[in-house]
Amino acid sequence: MPRTGPRPVPLLAALAAGTLLLTGCGSGATGAAPAKSGDQGTPVQGGSLTYATDVEPISFDIHVSQQDVTGAIQRNVFDSLVQQDAKGEFQPWLATKWEIAPDLKSFTFHLREGVKFTDGTPFDAEAVKVNFDRIVAKETKSQYAASLLGPYTGTEVIDPKTVKVNFGEPFAPFLQAASTPYLGFYSPKTIKENGAKLGAGGPADVGTGPFVFSSYTKGQSAVYTKNPDYNWAPAGAAHQGPAYLDKLTVRFLTEDSVRLGALNSGQVQVADPVPPSGVKTVQADSKLKTISTDAPGAVYSLVLNTSKAPLDDPLVRKAVQRGIDVETDVKSIYFGVNKRAWSPVAPTTPYYDKSLENSWAYDKALAEKSLDEAGWTAKDADGYRTKNGQRLTIEWPLPPAEYVREQRDTLGQAIQADLKKIGIEVTRPRLDIGTYIAQVYGGKVHIADYSWARFDPDVLRLYFHSASQPSKGGQNATFYKDAQLDEWTTKGKETFDKTVRQEVYGKTQQRAIELGLIVPLYVRTATVGQSAQVHGLTADPNTWLRFHDAWLGK
Amino acid sequence: MTDHDLTAPQGLRAVTLGVLRRLFVRLLGALAVLIGAATVAFAALQLVPGDPVTVMLGPGSAATPEVKAEIRATYGLDQPVAVQYLHYLGRLLTGDLGESYQLQRPVAGLIADQLGSTVQLALAALVLAVVLALVAATATAGRRPALRGVSSLLELLAVSSPSYWIGILLLTAFSFQLRIFPVAGDQDLSALVLPAVTLALPLTGVLTQVLREGLETTLGQPFVLTARSRGLAPAAVLLRHALRHTTGPVATLTGWLTGSLLGGAVLVETVFGRPGIGALSLQGAVNKDMPLVIGLVLLSALVFVLISTLVDLLHVAADPRLRSR
Repeated sequence: MPRTGPRPVPLLAALAAGTLLLTGCGSGATGAAPAKSGDQGTPVQGGSLTYATDVEPISFDIHVSQQDVTGAIQRNVFDSLVQQDAKGEFQPWLATKWEIAPDLKSFTFHLREGVKFTDGTPFDAEAVKVNFDRIVAKETKSQYAASLLGPYTGTEVIDPKTVKVNFGEPFAPFLQAASTPYLGFYSPKTIKENGAKLGAGGPADVGTGPFVFSSYTKGQSAVYTKNPDYNWAPAGAAHQGPAYLDKLTVRFLTEDSVRLGALNSGQVQVADPVPPSGVKTVQADSKLKTISTDAPGAVYSLVLNTSKAPLDDPLVRKAVQRGIDVETDVKSIYFGVNKRAWSPVAPTTPYYDKSLENSWAYDKALAEKSLDEAGWTAKDADGYRTKNGQRLTIEWPLPPAEYVREQRDTLGQAIQADLKKIGIEVTRPRLDIGTYIAQVYGGKVHIADYSWARFDPDVLRLYFHSASQPSKGGQNATFYKDAQLDEWTTKGKETFDKTVRQEVYGKTQQRAIELGLIVPLYVRTATVGQSAQVHGLTADPNTWLRFHDAWLGK
Repeated sequence: MTDHDLTAPQGLRAVTLGVLRRLFVRLLGALAVLIGAATVAFAALQLVPGDPVTVMLGPGSAATPEVKAEIRATYGLDQPVAVQYLHYLGRLLTGDLGESYQLQRPVAGLIADQLGSTVQLALAALVLAVVLALVAATATAGRRPALRGVSSLLELLAVSSPSYWIGILLLTAFSFQLRIFPVAGDQDLSALVLPAVTLALPLTGVLTQVLREGLETTLGQPFVLTARSRGLAPAAVLLRHALRHTTGPVATLTGWLTGSLLGGAVLVETVFGRPGIGALSLQGAVNKDMPLVIGLVLLSALVFVLISTLVDLLHVAADPRLRSR
């Protein structure tokens, strides 16, 4: 393989590297050494890269799976109609342009010429229809993609290169949904022949992407090889044409220490994720570098159940919100890697409201005052506040260990300790998963805790709209019914007008904090470790890696 | 002599009949064990609280009630438990283990795919453990107090260290630092070394202790003195006589430990990122994938039945006293 020497950098490559750096900054990437000499070299063709990740997909079927990892690694095989850039703007991909009906009930896409699936089938309007219809078909049992299509009513084939997607009600979030791998396209031929087997991975999963899914060994690895005909990378990609790498192997290494050890010893070139405790070590190693991206969407938060006493009292909710020393807790548990959150959504989410920052800092005195005002003035022998002989107790169950990620149980202990200081008792019974779901999503306990990664402010509707009930696949465990929140989040969903969206989403974030519906805790920073010989690897706004532009230098 | 020659065929027939009857009883017993295991697994999974589909999808799923209903109908989870059970048993009798809810593939196929690498791992670990234990026990039984002390200490360490931890230690030393062996996977023989050693070490500890204990007890028995007085060297006594006496308990123990290798494989396969039954069991349990879990329970029941039969036969071969009946 030809490798980069110290020769003059050709103009094109310099431009490409420039774009790379720009997109890098835009997506919030803070690589340890963003301008390392190698990144400016000419990309090297060929080579084989091994990528270790922690979760193995249950189903590889992008239309069925609800897992992040499925979208992240199958992105190599499946392209989307549009691409969403780091600012949240939509760029052409498999669709060169599109028109949106004024009522936002239909979207017409003009498809790119010359795109074909890796089995030779051309990508056309019929393929779009077959795929979207498959997602909503009952037999598909889609756990996530169908929800992305929302009020979908059907797809019309106008001509082979023009397709119209229809909805029963205004549905602005569709463009964002269409940019995710979950609404990617299988070859209609493979859907017909292997429809039921697509979840099992391997060569049956035929797409249009830069890589072909060559083989899958369950429990070990998935192997992807270059699609030599690929010439339809999204606008904004660092290069057009086929991927540089000949082969991409995804290894599933669950154990953090094993994954990092494999990276350190050069047995894999990319390890994802690097746990917060390991970030400093990786950054200190001159043979390694990191890519960090803040996850978009709803941050990890305490969602307060406003339908259950004593959290039905806004004063008690305020006390919980201000009585937790979020800053200190998050910093000490995540080694300064994950940042504390101020809004229900992460700063990388479009229409994030910056004005919330520092607006509700830790204030123990204020929290205690609120509790006094709420009538919780007496104290019992254990130091907890009481009212009418009742102890101020909040129940916040723990799911079984396999569902606890990112040391959230340890963070929970810090929160318990903080709230004890102001006289609130937090109990954390450990429940089996069946009981846990029934209790937490059924509104029978005081606090639910979760995050919801999606690069779209529409997550605010998922979290705060009164119709977004957890029993129906929604995420509003605040159980709060507020006309204004409903109106704003609906309005945001039904328009592309940036000023309007800025306004309604800003107001929604502020009101959610003001009403004490939620206590945002931390923004997850996804850190990927890579060998210094890997170049051109970037993360998209979803924190997923783009291997199309990656190449291996010396 | 002629007398003996006449009775021999008759005796042989009696023995063959006896073996056949034994085998038949065994088979019946095995069948009962399997049905029992399936029933217990089925019942245990029924006891998991909550709606099975909701539990399967996990907390915070975006799946709508319609999708859940569809999943429920596809797998017959909307039917009464008794009907589900009978359906299940019926299919089981035709050899159909059903389809995994989550992986959407036939359970039998999934297990067949993954079985090879676990068998390879378990056999390698077993052979390694038995060989190591034999060497360590015969080298230290009843002599060389210093060596015996060191060996006992190591055995204690091996028995009491979690295999998960041993695995990470071995990886750090031999894969990350010395870079002799690859970190993980199931590519070639070199990738088998570290997982097999990890799985074998705790086993070796237990086996060595039992074996040495047995050897030392035997060495104190009168027939050993007789053998010595016939002029046999201590080493010969140990290898030719004492060892044979201890095979009984060791074979039983090895059988039992082989069954438990499956449990060890769960951890070892996870740490080393190897495919196999252990990794599959973990996934099935975490995802509440009922057909997969029951399939795996059946497999381990089958393995236990096979091994205990094998151990019985070994006993017969090693101990002539058992052949009289």
